[in-house]
Amino acid sequence: MTGDTNGTLGRREVLKGAGATGLVLTAGCVGSDEEPAETSTPESTVYEIGMVNSLTGSLADFGTYNKRGMELALESINEVGIDGGTLEIIVEDSESLPDAGVSAAQKLATQDQVPFVIGAVGSGVSTSIYESVIEGSDIVQLSQNSTSASLTDYPGLLRMSPPGGPQVQVLSDVIAEDGNGSVAVAWVNNDFGQSQRDGFLEAWGGEVAYESPHDQEQSSYSSVVAEMANSGADAWVFLTYQEQTALMLSDAFSNAYEAAFYGSDSAKGPSVLENTPSGSIEGMKTVEPSAAVDQANYQSFASRFEEAYGTAPTSWSSFAYDCVITAALSILTAEEFTGSALGGTVRGVTASPGTTVTTYAEAVEALDGGGPDAIDYDGVSGPIDFDENGDPVGAFQVFEVSDDEYTSLGTRSA
Amino acid sequence: MSILEYLANGLVFSSIIVLSGVGLSLIYSIASFANFAHGDTMTVGAYGALVSFGAVGSMGGLLFGLPYGFYVALAAGALLAALVAVITQRLVYEPLEIGSIGLLITSIGIAFVYRALIQLGFGTDGRRYAVPAMRPVEWLVPVGIRITVQEIAIVAFAAVFVVALHLVLTRTLLGQMMRAMADDASLARVSGVRTSRIKLWTWVLGAGLAGAGGVFLGLYNQIEPRMGFNILLVVFAAVILGGIGSVYGAMLGGFLIGMVDQLMPVLGDIGIPIGTEYSYAVAFLIMVGVLLARPSGIAGTTER
Repeated sequence: MTGDTNGTLGRREVLKGAGATGLVLTAGCVGSDEEPAETSTPESTVYEIGMVNSLTGSLADFGTYNKRGMELALESINEVGIDGGTLEIIVEDSESLPDAGVSAAQKLATQDQVPFVIGAVGSGVSTSIYESVIEGSDIVQLSQNSTSASLTDYPGLLRMSPPGGPQVQVLSDVIAEDGNGSVAVAWVNNDFGQSQRDGFLEAWGGEVAYESPHDQEQSSYSSVVAEMANSGADAWVFLTYQEQTALMLSDAFSNAYEAAFYGSDSAKGPSVLENTPSGSIEGMKTVEPSAAVDQANYQSFASRFEEAYGTAPTSWSSFAYDCVITAALSILTAEEFTGSALGGTVRGVTASPGTTVTTYAEAVEALDGGGPDAIDYDGVSGPIDFDENGDPVGAFQVFEVSDDEYTSLGTRSA
Repeated sequence: MSILEYLANGLVFSSIIVLSGVGLSLIYSIASFANFAHGDTMTVGAYGALVSFGAVGSMGGLLFGLPYGFYVALAAGALLAALVAVITQRLVYEPLEIGSIGLLITSIGIAFVYRALIQLGFGTDGRRYAVPAMRPVEWLVPVGIRITVQEIAIVAFAAVFVVALHLVLTRTLLGQMMRAMADDASLARVSGVRTSRIKLWTWVLGAGLAGAGGVFLGLYNQIEPRMGFNILLVVFAAVILGGIGSVYGAMLGGFLIGMVDQLMPVLGDIGIPIGTEYSYAVAFLIMVGVLLARPSGIAGTTER
């Protein structure tokens, strides 16, 4: 217990230190460009919000990218400031587990008394936090990376990453637009496959010639492939993982079956290209959740990211970035710094009506003292626009295999 | 689509199960325990071939759609599997003075060790042999059979190996001694059979066949660390269905289980709503049914 408190205090000190350093840097920066006096006086308000991130555990890769996205967002915000104040984020580790995530959120809610919590990565962690800590309080929760359909059942639990539903909706649209009348759907026999399949069949208006689950790690998928071929479908849809997709596509090639191939994001990857005969999946199209890669704000985010961390950002880091910006905008437009006030503004700032803005600085300028309906923030990850269930309108990128490589056909939304 | 297509698929899949099954049955009958590391021995063979194929390259021409180098790799993979099994037998199984249940559990541990070592060396990603991608044999397509020359090679090789094993068992002194040991180990020993040497040869043959089966499984599906373990349950089903300890039973059992697995779509075609994802369940159901009628399996001897 004592150790824990010490550790926490230590981390907060570090964060404060980091924040202070940031302030000094910012002050210096702004000072050289514009008026040096006004920016950050010692009395300026510090707005503290919380974040539950997967710093360790099975989702630590996501956590790393989230942290980077968060840091860049803080930089963007504190350069301009929130009504002269600054934003600080107290980060707690969920260890990628529901239990630890709930303790982390509990600490943020009771000890730090933050009105806004960004969290978490894993869908199970996000819903556990919502059920045990957030529900019944007025704290706003915004998940950065959870994509499970289960979050849709909690309208109060917002998220930045689009759920799988709209993704298969887009996939279905693409297949129909390509002129296919019937589909054969092979889906992986688990929660993920089942929810993708349900969503797809709901969205698909044409004929379903075949749909059947398959298990992972089978020694042979010949019978699945033979059945798909038997069905005579125009399009084959793979709602499964890379490995199974590659095996079935190879089998289709060695049996000389012809169809148009489609897949969700999990059916796309370098291993699919490597493990299928060259040229055999030419024209296969896949859809994946994506940041708004063709927008200028994303491109500047990506280049800042590369500069700072020496690697390209993931979609997940862009979601974390937008979480922080959205939090800042809702603080900026709220009457007071409380959960209920923030809950009242968080949806408005990212949705119409309002002037469309794509960066925090633009938003501050466009607001000019106005309320949440004065702006519509379209982030680096997409248009956001939370719906009644707290889900964003995701942007999706369509890829096509050409010359044994995935080429982007651009982004679209559901 | 004709049923011939499913039968062709079944023949290929059966061949792999048969190769692995006869090895498993051979080891069971003579070393007297169910070797759960058998599946991972297949994996060892597949990776052995992957490495040696990378080393020798294609070596020029093609035979049955496969480069000459692949056949060298096949031999190397089978030899490596045999070598690894013999070393394991000498270092672990032989010195352990525990009953067959103890050995069975030990072999599960050995399976994990094999797999872990392969993962350490090669990672968990699926790979494929660098052999040319094949289209179905053209003149068979109008008949309704879509099978590549490589798949025909798998079936042919399995047949050759099985016949060769049959000849070894029936026509050679080694085979006679092996059969004598399988029937009654202590009687064989008092008759002058050097049982430990025969055991060694049994491991060489059994694991070598498993290694070859692994190479073909890698060619047919893909090479990855869990490939052998994933097929092991089916191989056991085949061996038990045929009558554990009987090599000929294992052949028959392997053939049946492989066919059932690949003929699953027929059920859907004739209106029985059981999807292909239940193929293993159906195969095991058939196994249980056969065992209820014939407790020793199709070709098993009654005293076992």
